[in-house]
Amino acid sequence: MSVFKEHKTNADRVASDRRRHKQKIDKAIRDGIHHIVSDESIIGQDGKKKFRIPVRGIKEHRFVYGNNGKQVGSAPGTDVKRGQTIGKKDRSQPARPDKPGSDSGEEFYDVEMSLDELAEYLFADLGLPDLERKQLTNITSHKLKRNGYRTEGILPRLDKKKSAIARIKRMKAAGFDPDAAEEGETFPFHEDDLKFRHYKLKDEPCTNAVVFFVMDVSGSMDQDKKFLARSFCFLMYQFIRSKYENVEVVFVTHDIEAREVNESEFFTIGTSGGTFASTGLALVNKIIEERFHPDSWNLYAFHLSDGDNFDSDNGAYISQHALLESQVQLFGYCELEPDRSYSQEEKISRLLFPRMRENSRCVTIKSKEDVFPAFQSMLGSSKGSA
Amino acid sequence: MDYQLSQLEEWDEKICDIAKKHGLDWFDITYEFIDYFSMIGAMAFHGLPSHFNHWSFGKSFERTHHMYNMGMEGLPYELILNSNPSLAYMMRENPFYLQILIMAHCVGHSDFFKNNRTFKGTKPETIVGRCRAAKKRFQAYVEDPSIGIDKVEAAVDACYAVQFQIQRPGWIRRSRSEIIEVHKEKLKADPEYPDLDTSKNPLAPDYDILGFISENAKLPDWKRDIIEVCRDEGRYFWPQIQTKIMNEGWASYWHYTILHELDLPPELHVAFVKSHNQVIRPHVGGINPYHLGFHLFQRIKQRHGIEECFLAREVHHDASFVRQYLTQEDCEELNLFSYSKKKNGDTSVDDVSDEEGWEEVRRDLVKQVGGGSIPVLYVEEAKKNGDLILCHEHDGRDLELSETKSVLEHLYRLWDDRVILNTIIDGKYQKIEN
Repeated sequence: MSVFKEHKTNADRVASDRRRHKQKIDKAIRDGIHHIVSDESIIGQDGKKKFRIPVRGIKEHRFVYGNNGKQVGSAPGTDVKRGQTIGKKDRSQPARPDKPGSDSGEEFYDVEMSLDELAEYLFADLGLPDLERKQLTNITSHKLKRNGYRTEGILPRLDKKKSAIARIKRMKAAGFDPDAAEEGETFPFHEDDLKFRHYKLKDEPCTNAVVFFVMDVSGSMDQDKKFLARSFCFLMYQFIRSKYENVEVVFVTHDIEAREVNESEFFTIGTSGGTFASTGLALVNKIIEERFHPDSWNLYAFHLSDGDNFDSDNGAYISQHALLESQVQLFGYCELEPDRSYSQEEKISRLLFPRMRENSRCVTIKSKEDVFPAFQSMLGSSKGSA
Repeated sequence: MDYQLSQLEEWDEKICDIAKKHGLDWFDITYEFIDYFSMIGAMAFHGLPSHFNHWSFGKSFERTHHMYNMGMEGLPYELILNSNPSLAYMMRENPFYLQILIMAHCVGHSDFFKNNRTFKGTKPETIVGRCRAAKKRFQAYVEDPSIGIDKVEAAVDACYAVQFQIQRPGWIRRSRSEIIEVHKEKLKADPEYPDLDTSKNPLAPDYDILGFISENAKLPDWKRDIIEVCRDEGRYFWPQIQTKIMNEGWASYWHYTILHELDLPPELHVAFVKSHNQVIRPHVGGINPYHLGFHLFQRIKQRHGIEECFLAREVHHDASFVRQYLTQEDCEELNLFSYSKKKNGDTSVDDVSDEEGWEEVRRDLVKQVGGGSIPVLYVEEAKKNGDLILCHEHDGRDLELSETKSVLEHLYRLWDDRVILNTIIDGKYQKIEN
């Protein structure tokens, strides 16, 4: 005779092991995500759009045979012939990133995530430097905060559990025993038993920050450079959006003169012409003076350029930079030089580097792969490198 | 549920009577009824009711759960543990007739666990307690501030990488003194017998890599404990790897036989036949152990009588079973053929089961069944300078290189010194280092 029983518990035995596995997957996502952040398909998308991201699975390693061994199987019929080809080499190798030869049966998870989630992974350990709280201005956010209980309120805020407890308390105090009660005798709710959750509107002081992106859109900024610049700005923009509520962003483009543009124009338009880099910074300084007083705002400015500037403008650039630097928390200069740039002319970076103070950073981006490291070093603690 | 447990008890009684009449001899069975979610959980731990934690079980769970939700994979009807008493998990959602089939199937498995020779060392009486105790100890290591989860996890990762590189059932592992003793005997019989270099460690190739490391590496107690637990688990599961075809074949043979004698009402009988055919259908391009095992036990009975079946279930494992009983007629009937990936990347047929090909096909099949797809490696020597020298017994199949390197990394972490593997890749002798 066998024993039959219902399983005692439906507790999830594997919960902790799944959590641990997920942690490992998360780490794999973080480690492998950088190569996709400068991917064309992502730049310029809004935060809700979903992307499929291949993530290398956490592998359990074993001694296994390669694929030079023979296999035995059963055929559906008798028409299998010696030498017959039953499987073609897959010549359209699926393009897995960073993946030389995908023969070894490596496991990939396709993780679907939105840009916002992607930002969370990317920026988990990063923060804007020195985001100190400046004087509070009119920007405050209102939040509903729980604030105890009341005996009056609207029904949707009725706390059933608290109310039931209050009734039981009263019942015990009254010495009413429902088991011993006579037929039809009950102990109904009293108005005072009802407990309603109370909310209060609270003003949350919030940090005011404004970020300026200045991009060179002159003729020397070819498609490659423009793409790198956009990647960088886009990353920075997503980062700021994901980290700080109430951040104002100002986009400025310049060739020989500067314009304030909106987000979509910034990421899409292109013009041609010469370069007066100082005009970009001058416009930022002007906007700061008009709209964002440094006493009440945390200011961040990033300038993206290929480093070519009219010689006659260099002096003006330096003085505008000095003015800007004295007002902002961080000034980041990002020079884009895809391979072909071997010109011996004086680049802005060379001009700037010796004059930079603590709150300026200078980075160079040569290729797609540099975008994320440049971004990291921009936010890191060091003064940056050319 | 379209049934009551008490109904199952009635049928169980009938099943047990028939099974006894046929001479089956099994452990008592405890059936536990669980939902699909718990079933996936139980599968992750191979049916062990208590087991130490490791992320790989979470991964296994996610994969099964995903496949199941996508409809790519069904769940097994039951999951039976080689324990005494046998513990069988049953899916609560299964229909009534299926539960009857599964109960008969479980009797077959339990009989196999109890009587097959490869299972002799598995200690089914204590497996549940062993696992529970190990879980507690591992948990203590995790909570110990001087050890912690990362170290424990890394040690388990490493042990699991070579969990089956241990003594397989039936293999003899001799101690140092035994080897010296055997050598003396040989020398007595044949004075020309080559000398034994007693300065070498191990004296003879040691196939129990985990065992060798446990005995010879400088290890903290907790790490040695983890190695020993994983090694014990490897020994416990080896027989199941070695007898997959026989075990499933035997259980299928008996559920088929018993259910034909049960006098099932016709509507249940039709459903049962359908399920049975589903279970033992051939897998195109692969081997369905249920299919091959069921087929062979039926043929053995026809050719040699039922006593031969009982003998086979006692003394064989898959490789010897296939070698002994699979005939040309069977190969043809099952349409077996061998294939391999060629240098140009295409896969093509090497041999088919005709007059000149079937023996080659059977040889290839023997290589792949019963854990034959797990490479055989052994410890050649632990050098004085700390190097651990491993050798791979090459049988025509090369090791997968990048995996091999990763495993050597793991071994390095256990051995705490250089690990070198000798093998053959593309016909060339190779030394691979961690």
